Amino acid sequence: MKAVGARLPRYDGVAHVTGRTVYVDDVRVPGTLWVKALRSPSHHAAITRLDTSAAERMKGVQAIVTHADVPTLVYGHLSALGIPGDEPLLARDEVRYKGQPIAVVAAEDEETAQAAVDAIVLELEERPTLFDVRQAFDPDAPTIHEWGNWYPHFEGEMDRRQIRKGDIDRAFEQADLILQGVYRPAAIEHAPIETQVCLVVPEPSGRLTIYSCTQALYFSMGVVAAHLEVLLNRLKFVGGTVGGGFGGKVDTATETICSLLALKCGRPVKWRFTREEEFLVSSTRAPWHIELKDAVSKDGWLLGRRTLTLHDAGAYARFSPYGLTKHSFHHTGAYTIPNLHFDGYVVFTNRVPTTAMRGFGVTSVSFAVETQMSRIAHELDLDPYELRLKNANRIGDTSPNGVAYTDPSTVATIQAIAEATGHELTAEYRTMTGDHREGDWLPEHLVGQIRDPEEQH
Amino acid sequence: MTASSPEVLLPESREEAVQAFGDGSGVTVVAGGTIVLPELSYGRLRPGRALLLTRSGLAGIARNGSTTTIGAMTPVSELADLPAPLGPAAARVADVEIRAQATVGGNLCAVADEAPRGELQAALLALGATVRSAGSGGERDEPLEAFLDGQRDRLLLEVSFDEPAGGAFEQLRRAHTHAYATLSVAASRATDGTVRIAATGVGPYGRRLASAEARADDPTAAGEAALGDVTLTDDALASAWYRRRTLPVLVQRVLTRLEEVA
Amino acid sequence: MNLTVNGLAREVESAPLTPLLTVLREELGVLSPKAGCLQGGCGACTVLVDGEPRRSCLLPLAALDGSDVTTAEGLGTAAALSPLQQSFHRHYAAQCGFCTSGMLLAAHAYVERDGSDEREAIQEALAGHVCRCTGYTKIIDAVQAVARGEIEGGQPWTLETGEGIDVEIPGSPA
Repeated sequence: MKAVGARLPRYDGVAHVTGRTVYVDDVRVPGTLWVKALRSPSHHAAITRLDTSAAERMKGVQAIVTHADVPTLVYGHLSALGIPGDEPLLARDEVRYKGQPIAVVAAEDEETAQAAVDAIVLELEERPTLFDVRQAFDPDAPTIHEWGNWYPHFEGEMDRRQIRKGDIDRAFEQADLILQGVYRPAAIEHAPIETQVCLVVPEPSGRLTIYSCTQALYFSMGVVAAHLEVLLNRLKFVGGTVGGGFGGKVDTATETICSLLALKCGRPVKWRFTREEEFLVSSTRAPWHIELKDAVSKDGWLLGRRTLTLHDAGAYARFSPYGLTKHSFHHTGAYTIPNLHFDGYVVFTNRVPTTAMRGFGVTSVSFAVETQMSRIAHELDLDPYELRLKNANRIGDTSPNGVAYTDPSTVATIQAIAEATGHELTAEYRTMTGDHREGDWLPEHLVGQIRDPEEQH
Repeated sequence: MTASSPEVLLPESREEAVQAFGDGSGVTVVAGGTIVLPELSYGRLRPGRALLLTRSGLAGIARNGSTTTIGAMTPVSELADLPAPLGPAAARVADVEIRAQATVGGNLCAVADEAPRGELQAALLALGATVRSAGSGGERDEPLEAFLDGQRDRLLLEVSFDEPAGGAFEQLRRAHTHAYATLSVAASRATDGTVRIAATGVGPYGRRLASAEARADDPTAAGEAALGDVTLTDDALASAWYRRRTLPVLVQRVLTRLEEVA
Repeated sequence: MNLTVNGLAREVESAPLTPLLTVLREELGVLSPKAGCLQGGCGACTVLVDGEPRRSCLLPLAALDGSDVTTAEGLGTAAALSPLQQSFHRHYAAQCGFCTSGMLLAAHAYVERDGSDEREAIQEALAGHVCRCTGYTKIIDAVQAVARGEIEGGQPWTLETGEGIDVEIPGSPA
């Protein structure tokens, strides 16, 4: 087994360095049509008129699709996880974000496709907009989603992701220090060097071959099949090397629409986003609004945490409820906090729908948690490493949702960081392990919460 | 691949270029291409007639006594070793590939869109440069300031300036980026002692900071005075608020530096 | 219009204002330069024109009659990598690979003009190239190794050839 522990060459390395790696836009099929989309110029409006007839008549235009061409217009990509669908593949009665696709054209060349898009008649009636998640809860806020301004289907019927643990009021009564903070990580555009792209080739057999840049081949296949109401065996997805995704190429942004175009005109169809589309219209990492309020003892024990999170989903739910759920599990970071009061909301705004990006849901709360820890250390004049080690997860400590840790590596990791950065720990912290709490590492307030992992279910 | 194809003119001399330009109506000038090509690719510009200056012989730097004349097609990279303010301004334009392709003429004709462009404008305004251009009424010379404020319907042929006694250049850009700079401020002291200060990032194109010049003896006062010469707006790189706070600092720095090199 | 591309004389019929990138990809089937932004901002389209690195998305065809164009395919082949290609391969300087073609050509030009092994100088030469995957360090490492004359081209490094690179990952058992 000479591969184990060895430095292996990348199997795609030689192709990369000789310029031979094939990406979707490098796949060349004769007769391929160019695609351009008519996108909403408004953040929120009713569509009062949509007329593609002039565009359809243009020389070189081979197909145009609108909502009327989509067998299942609304399909929840994560319906298997209990998240119902809310987003039409192509806008029908209204648009809820600037850039939302309304009609898509396939034509002989890029210029003709764009000219056809420009020839489509679109009339809109502006509606009030909501951009700030904090305002979503104002009684006079405009309603911008049929479910209300925040997602109401957690566990089927709840309007928030909620965690209650221990006795939060008592924790705050006992606190020597109460530290609060509001953390607002901004949206981040994935900005892969390869923009969104797909090529759909209708085969003589009646199947579609779909060259896709998706990060999630079978997932996207299921989405396309659901919208098109076809069996999976009608579709042949060809993945390959993705020119960077980072979570931004899981939304199946182009494959379904290109499939509809290819079916409509019987020609291969390729849609490659421009860099402008990629920046303005493709999904981003969500902005978050996270409020933490910690109850801390003077010797640095985290007694309790109150959390309010507002996650900006943009105009539609997509994967946001899933992201918030992960966020809720991680809102204590790598630390053990026995008393918790967490409320998290997925809030809708008239912005581009947000999606996953590396560490979906978790990176936001890690930022908040670690900053909070550093501030606590500063307030109490404690060593920031030792504060973290003290509260670090141990075997038998429980997570926010009550699962006992069986093998947490927090202690070893923090000790390794201290060593790597040349930070001297005092002897007791240097020799600390991640084993069950005992002695000085088991304060009274944690006694009732320690579990034996062997006893779990 | 596009359906339409404009008429493309490729003059092989300065005279041919001037003649092909005529009075400029209906003509899109392509110098280095760094600004025009993206406009073509994104379908925002559909030229009827495109005048490519590639072979027009308009490149080159000439020295006549204390006067330097730079042809419009001179690549920005060729200015990088000149003294401040022009050298540092040129050396920091974008990256090595763009600098080698972008031209002085294109840079001088650039206007801001989502971000400021045309950083050489600050340096050449500070040098009191003169521009020779062709167009309606024939060839003429005028101060760069007048050219920038003008109709933009002329073919820029060359820019000249007298060697200063000293110069300085300061720039503010987002860390680790090589695109456009948020603010650039240039200053020079002429051989007769006159101080000129100019900036880009403070409007659609470069501006002289006349109020700052009037207080050149006091860098701090000059910095504050500079704010009166500009109308700052938000753009993709920075807000007006941020520029209001940083422009005085850059003005102060160039004047201090100018003192040091005197 | 006539271009020499990777040593082959090609007659080109695209319209005069067509960007070189489009000529290469659409008319000539040379696919290694990539359309990352079509604005000159990312460097994925960079090719060598008469030996100099240029953004092919910004060059109108009409300005290039008679030019000599080199792309990544022209630097070396799978059996005979150039030292720089070998170095990129051995240093894991490519992950998704989309920026790699442009990076290689900019680095090639740098090394050809006897660029120093100083990281800052290498960074300046590659400053117009955006990579979203690698964090740039391994790319700089790869170019530095070539600048120091440490890398031989030829057959690509494989597990069988038994060579590894001391890429330090602190704390990793590998």
